[in-house]
Amino acid sequence: MKIVVTVKLVPDPNGEKKIDPATKRLVRTGVETVINPYDEYALEAALQLKERIGGESTVTVFCMSPESLKESLRKALAMGADGAVMLSDSSLEGSDVWASAHAMSLALKRIGFDILIVGGLTDDGSTGAVPGALAEFLGVPCLTNVRKIDIADGKVRVERETDSGYQEVTGALPMLVTTALTIGEPRYPSLKGIMGAKKKPIDMLSVADIGAADTVGATGSKTELLSFAPPPARGAGQIVTPEDPAAGAATILAFLKEKKLV
Amino acid sequence: MKNVIVYVEQKKGATRKVTFEMLTEARKIADALGGRAVAVVLGAGAAAVAEQAKNYPIDAVQVVEDSAVDTFLLDPIVHYLEATAKSVGPALLLIPNTLSGRDLAGRLVARLNAGIAADVTEIAVTNGRVECVSPKLGGALVTHCVLRAGDYGIATIRPGAFAAVPGGSGAAIERHDAQGASYPLTIERDVEEGSGEMALEEAPVVIAGGRGMGGAEPFTTLLKPLADAFGGAVGASRAAADAGWVSYSLQIGQTGKTVSPPLYIAVGISGAIQHKVGMRASGTIVAINKDASAPIAEFADLTVVGDAFAIVPELTKLVTAAKQ
Repeated sequence: MKIVVTVKLVPDPNGEKKIDPATKRLVRTGVETVINPYDEYALEAALQLKERIGGESTVTVFCMSPESLKESLRKALAMGADGAVMLSDSSLEGSDVWASAHAMSLALKRIGFDILIVGGLTDDGSTGAVPGALAEFLGVPCLTNVRKIDIADGKVRVERETDSGYQEVTGALPMLVTTALTIGEPRYPSLKGIMGAKKKPIDMLSVADIGAADTVGATGSKTELLSFAPPPARGAGQIVTPEDPAAGAATILAFLKEKKLV
Repeated sequence: MKNVIVYVEQKKGATRKVTFEMLTEARKIADALGGRAVAVVLGAGAAAVAEQAKNYPIDAVQVVEDSAVDTFLLDPIVHYLEATAKSVGPALLLIPNTLSGRDLAGRLVARLNAGIAADVTEIAVTNGRVECVSPKLGGALVTHCVLRAGDYGIATIRPGAFAAVPGGSGAAIERHDAQGASYPLTIERDVEEGSGEMALEEAPVVIAGGRGMGGAEPFTTLLKPLADAFGGAVGASRAAADAGWVSYSLQIGQTGKTVSPPLYIAVGISGAIQHKVGMRASGTIVAINKDASAPIAEFADLTVVGDAFAIVPELTKLVTAAKQ
């Protein structure tokens, strides 16, 4: 079975996030680039699936990102992916949800898959809308927020989290699945994995390869970013150390009464 | 874009407050664009919700009581919304920014070749162009974005960002027949956990517990009585959910829910960035923490330093008395 996982490369979420005032895009210089943490859960799910199914199964990582960030993808190979494909092209910069999902779908049609596993969210300002749009462009069912996957004879049975609990849902391959964090903690690359990753292939695709020309980048997008600014700062309020618990409770009540919240 | 279509999320005849917020805002946008405002309600119980929706200032409510909406995952909803969009004509679609709303919006981006603005807190129409304001990067930035003048645009709406004001002269209810179609993903079981509780995103007061709770029990014995005294709901930090003390459905933060109640009380929560981004938009934030140097003290309006296990029961008594 061919398992494909999409990953996004993002500035380290623990670092400070900046947007370039001129280009209105994330500043990537001076900040370490890492695999979007949510996508590591998707990769973990893929690796577990491969281990369970065995046989001829492969895990391929797909990433749309500038070629200069290529080495940041090695961690996915070190974790156990068999190979990676990168869609890189300067004309992709500034693509919105529609343009990104559309370009990704063209590349993924070339790569081919039985199951496509996508991280639940991205950490760098995405909208959560890409997986759904991607599934539509690929013409496959879309199963989101999945915490458990079982596959037998091309039939898929999953547990997915909902706002109020969970659901068991069944369907058939090929399909797109997005993962919940409860699918399992991502593994750490082993030393052997890290050494092996250096020899694994990262294939490159360009916009010309996928035939997307005028549907990518800012010009191919359906939205236009006008401006951005930090919100008004939320300053520190009062810090009170009361004499005893009753005084603490009274302080809170008085504060809430003053704000007309009680 | 000329018209406005509101997707009314509902289950068994119950909907969320964000529905009425969207119905109110839809009228303003439709008037500015010179078009109609239409709501769509689907699945078992849709007729009951339509009766509530028609009290808001929209032109029409489309109702399809198709049982497929409850037996197949999302695809019937995508189908009906696409059909409505095609019949109504060029439109802005308002969809709640909830778990399933986000899934739905993504699907419609491709079906309708639409631009999308996500987690929108303000909408303005300027010279016929729809401009949306959205907080990004966990609220670190606020973006203004234009939906290009294609046929369709989508905005997912943050619950609690707009006011809900009934009005209008009673929208026309249009019933449509179910398609009777089959779809690829079958819901075999739908399990409700913690049913009967108020939805966290809708609660006027949220009492959230973190690592300082030390176990599952204080969530029911300490925090729940305080939440009940306020008529609010209990939430949790990621640390508490990861420890298995509460269900992930109560988790507030980057990887959980985003809430913005008028009052947020954080009990034994340090206020790491992961939690902060899920609640920083709350009206008033009160922290009870034994550590005065916890990050939460840097953005809470009031931080009381002390033992939460002693302070919370006292506060519950005072609030209960004050409410009588």
